[in-house]
Amino acid sequence: MKQKHGVCTFCGTGCGHFLAVESDTVTRVFPSQNHPVSKGRLCVRGWNIHELLTTKERITVPMVREDGVLRECTYDEAISKVVDVLSSLKSRPSEMGFLASPRATNEETYLFSKLGRAVFNTNNISLDSESGHRNSLNVLHEGAGFPGMNCPVEDIRKAEFVLVLGIDITKQNPIIGSEIHLAAQNGTQVVTVDSRRTQIAKLSNDFLQIHPGSNTLFLGALGKAVIDQKLAAADFIASAVEGYDDFAATVAGLTEDQIVSGTGISYDDIKKIARKLAAANTAMAFFSSGISGLDEETIRCLFNVFAITGNIGKEGSGLNPVAGLNNLQGGYDMGAAPDLLSGFQSLEDVKVRSAYAAEWGSEPPAIPGRSIPELLEDESTPLKALVVSDHDEGIIRYADRLKEIDFIAYIGAFRNPFTEYADVVIPVASYIETDGTFTNTERRIQLSEKKVEAPDGVLPGWNVYTMIARKAGADWNYSSAEDVMNEIVKVTPRYAGVSYDRLRSRGIAGIQWPCDGNNPEGTPFFSLEKAGGKLKCLALSGDFEVKTADPDYPLLLMVGKAQHFWHQNNLMKKTYIPLREYNATLLDYPEGFVEINSADAYELGVRNHWTVRVVSLSGSMDVAVKISDDVKPGTAYSPYFVQDMIKKFLLGHTNILRQGEDATIPVRIEKV
Amino acid sequence: MIMFLIKKSDVLEIAKELGKEYQVLGPVVDTDSGQTFFEKTEPELIQLKAPIPSVPPKYTVFPQIETLMRYRYDRESKAVEIRELYEAKPKALFGLRSCDLSGLLCLDRFFLGQEFVDEAYRVHRKKMFIVTNTCVTPFKNCFCVCTDSGPAAEEGYDLNLTELDDVYLVEAGSDKGRELAERMGLEKADESYAVKKKEAVDKSVSLFEEFATDSKAWISRVMNRVTTGFIREDVWEYIGDQCFECGACTFVCPSCSCFNIVDVNNADGSSERLRTWDSCSYEGYSRMAGGHNPRKPVEDRRNKRFFCKLSYSQMKKYLRPGCVGCGRCAWVCPGNIGLPKVVEYVRRETHK
Amino acid sequence: MKVTTIVNVPEVVTIDEIREEIKDVKTFYLSFDKKEYQDTFKIRSGQFVMCTVFGSGEFAVSLPPSPENDRFHLTVKKVGKVTTALHELEPGDKLGIRGPFGNGFPFEEIKGKNVIYVAGGIGLIPLRSSIVHVLQHKEEFGRVIVMHGAQTPEALMYKDNLKEWQNFDGFETYITVDNPTPDWTGETGFVHTLFDKANLPVENTVAFVCGPPIMFNTVIGELMKRGISDESIYSTLERHMKCGVGKCQHCAIGRTLVCTDGPVYTFRQIKTLGEEI
Repeated sequence: MKQKHGVCTFCGTGCGHFLAVESDTVTRVFPSQNHPVSKGRLCVRGWNIHELLTTKERITVPMVREDGVLRECTYDEAISKVVDVLSSLKSRPSEMGFLASPRATNEETYLFSKLGRAVFNTNNISLDSESGHRNSLNVLHEGAGFPGMNCPVEDIRKAEFVLVLGIDITKQNPIIGSEIHLAAQNGTQVVTVDSRRTQIAKLSNDFLQIHPGSNTLFLGALGKAVIDQKLAAADFIASAVEGYDDFAATVAGLTEDQIVSGTGISYDDIKKIARKLAAANTAMAFFSSGISGLDEETIRCLFNVFAITGNIGKEGSGLNPVAGLNNLQGGYDMGAAPDLLSGFQSLEDVKVRSAYAAEWGSEPPAIPGRSIPELLEDESTPLKALVVSDHDEGIIRYADRLKEIDFIAYIGAFRNPFTEYADVVIPVASYIETDGTFTNTERRIQLSEKKVEAPDGVLPGWNVYTMIARKAGADWNYSSAEDVMNEIVKVTPRYAGVSYDRLRSRGIAGIQWPCDGNNPEGTPFFSLEKAGGKLKCLALSGDFEVKTADPDYPLLLMVGKAQHFWHQNNLMKKTYIPLREYNATLLDYPEGFVEINSADAYELGVRNHWTVRVVSLSGSMDVAVKISDDVKPGTAYSPYFVQDMIKKFLLGHTNILRQGEDATIPVRIEKV
Repeated sequence: MIMFLIKKSDVLEIAKELGKEYQVLGPVVDTDSGQTFFEKTEPELIQLKAPIPSVPPKYTVFPQIETLMRYRYDRESKAVEIRELYEAKPKALFGLRSCDLSGLLCLDRFFLGQEFVDEAYRVHRKKMFIVTNTCVTPFKNCFCVCTDSGPAAEEGYDLNLTELDDVYLVEAGSDKGRELAERMGLEKADESYAVKKKEAVDKSVSLFEEFATDSKAWISRVMNRVTTGFIREDVWEYIGDQCFECGACTFVCPSCSCFNIVDVNNADGSSERLRTWDSCSYEGYSRMAGGHNPRKPVEDRRNKRFFCKLSYSQMKKYLRPGCVGCGRCAWVCPGNIGLPKVVEYVRRETHK
Repeated sequence: MKVTTIVNVPEVVTIDEIREEIKDVKTFYLSFDKKEYQDTFKIRSGQFVMCTVFGSGEFAVSLPPSPENDRFHLTVKKVGKVTTALHELEPGDKLGIRGPFGNGFPFEEIKGKNVIYVAGGIGLIPLRSSIVHVLQHKEEFGRVIVMHGAQTPEALMYKDNLKEWQNFDGFETYITVDNPTPDWTGETGFVHTLFDKANLPVENTVAFVCGPPIMFNTVIGELMKRGISDESIYSTLERHMKCGVGKCQHCAIGRTLVCTDGPVYTFRQIKTLGEEI
């Protein structure tokens, strides 16, 4: 059989596909008709993945920087250099960092984290982008003990009510967007709440265009509407929910005036949505989990609303944070976080530490580290060495800080602008050149088996990390990616029943964790009944304030992922057709754009494509105008994809942008 | 029409005979996924009764990615070398369905029959032996009866198989086909078998889902509307809102043939000119270098594709629709706007 | 004499000379490496070629030289990736040429008629071929009026040729700019404002129009207002092209493929193509 089944590695949906291989090269990609997630569909990226997989833009030789220039060398020389530097810092582990990749396979991320912890004694290990996903996992863990998407994608059709909150889902994870669209056609009530009119908004039954930054207030109001209309699921709350009274008290304090002026939506409309939600037997919520994902407070509020309406913990219902990158969930599952071990287990949990000691020979370092973005931002902390795996950010933030770091090692498969900052570059095989598993946003672990040979001499990631560890004196003995998985399952209870054989026996379907003795065939949806225990309504700060514009800065600027391809930025540049699509916007607006409503444009006296200056309290940028009625008057939208824009303006607002979807910057727009 | 018979249990012997001279491709069902593929295989593994393959066999003549030529320009010495690259082995397509054959014939007319002949296509298509298999029952989503492309192939094949009781009727559609049948010593079939075949085909037609038979008249009526231009803008906007701009419809369509050409540079200084499948569904497809994009809004692209498929590309010149009724665009579309759905929306609008 | 069309594999040409025309526009004088093509490569006005910049890609470009007695050259504006790479080349560098493709402007068919040329900006590039060809055979045509408009005096194309045509007895040449500089002594205003001054003929007349999309509708409207029929107004359309031979379909407009049915169309044809241009 020349067609080999695999999983697409662009976004977090994890669609199945078949790749045809002839003469050791990929010649075709086509959809997997019976795959539980994609069911025969693929998006523009998935359909053109053969262009990425046959690109010549690969790192094929290890390199080391000498006299300012990278020169070719052997794996041994490159690895020795890395080990020398990191070993010299072993006594000061806070000065080194390991930046893991949300694209690498589970096995690679696990070994990468183990390298940091077990060999070099540091807990400064983290993923970079999509820190918003951590917020989602934290909330679900605290509230339900289940740090992952509650429902599988194929159950979307079973939901009678779907809430899409602040995520341009048809562009980000098109196939999940497709499922929601098909569910709508089938009778599901789909409600989109967003500040911009996105495609899914047009395909929904209800679209509530809230003021930017008012997600938390909206959800609080929704909770209040449920409670005011006596629609809370009383029996369910009594038996399975804690903390209801505190939540009810918090939202009771909201006044109608506050709600209307803060969200821009009438309380009657919100009450209508509350009635729809309560009337549905099954309800799901989808929200973004990433750079413009919701912040933790908002997700807590969402959790509470769904908990009190009885929509968490049963089939067809639940909270579904959508991961934008293919192995973002897997990255967290493998412990690529300064305070977590694999399976979302706490670093500080005594039982977990001893289970790890049994496998690793010693306990991981006890004191949690710091995330790499945090370290890079904090100029007061010395960071002497940074090991980076497969960094996909086409736009490199913190470029200046990176220049100051003494030693940077980059380990990856595709050519990447990041190597400009690296002192050592080590190539690894791409995902079709080695075995590996990926965990998609629905917790589905899928095996991707080797399909073609790696370029001459290039080794798989698990092999490279093993070599580094052994060079540093650790006794690692993995001879295949499967060996690594066999160890992962021993220290990760949620992955306990997983093995390559079991994955193969499941054909193309993969297996959703938790997969253990109780759930040998995996766990499609989170069942409270099976898990036991109760849901916890999470404490809110009670701060529902919405940033408003003021006369000096009369527009609220939202910042987000412009193009559906943004997250695949570096990989996109290796393709031809998706790159052309991505460029269609970039080339029209080379300096970026700010989208404003036609009424605002008229008042300002500007036309499409004119250059304007966007000014905020902390900075300004000159960009082109894009007139669109997808944003309401008084709001503006700017995409996060142009380097200059980011350097000159957006970086200065990083604190605000951390708020994710609620991030708004009051600005004024001036003609230039 | 010369007809032969072969015992059902022996039908794969034809494939084996072909295997002596050609690379045989046929339908095979993958056990892990349950999906049908049409690909290179050992003759004995072919499963003639498999449903239509998930992706049409157009890749055999029009690969998804191929190198057209390799060149090297040495700026120092000003020397240029260019080398055309396509080569292909003779192929036998065994068990092709009539819709896919119609698609292949559309591609033939397009690539070979117009002002210029496409070299790469011609080389791939040159030595090909086609054995089609009549669909004695339709599959889900099929509507070839509406587009005059099935369930039995009528032209363009070398041999056409039709399953009847305990034998396969083997019709020779060309000299090549007849010679092979004679070489194999197949028994000749008398006229009564033509009648039996017609019965089998009629029975097949009656089994099509109501949608297909119901829509038979509609597709031609809609085509009429399309050619006279009476479809309102807002219908296209409604359809365009549901388009996810993935390109799937064009990639799985047996008669779609748009492609992109790109020059890529190798590390050793040589370059390759690649041809990859492209889709008019994409925004960048019609964008010109200076920025002007005549088909920027998505509804314009939906509109264009539909007109092209039902009217411009094949109908105007060759009097048959470009759509072959295979139904694949319906199941790959994330937005659920495959051709049958578009016909439904247009019909709804024009009958308000 | 055998006339060749280079279809699939480009033929190598050498850049003999490069001339800067206006900002971002250069003319490249080319000659075929294989000597036989010098004679057999015959073009018609209005056709185009696919030009390969080795290592970068291929793009479609109209042919400005006259079919007779004119050095083979291409005038190209820098707009995208491939044209930018082209502008960095020097005399002596090599390019690839495929073609000529397309239908071309009518020539034999319009002998005896009056010919009006309206060129906006770099729209003069494809029209130049026809203008020079008609100039070479002026006695076979009626009145010939050449009108060229550009945004500024600097942006006027083919200034040498313009001077030549202004001095040529058989031509009535008019030039205008939208935004004059202080030392500009000629006409100002959009190109269609020249129509009255030129006293355009209506009977037995054809008009060739080429320019940016904005200019298109106004100019044609003005011509038709004066009584020139839409069957007598020709234009050359531009579209994104990849293959140039009617296969990739990037250039499709409604029922037509610009690379094989066009790029020259009458306005009547344009109206019935089935899509907006």
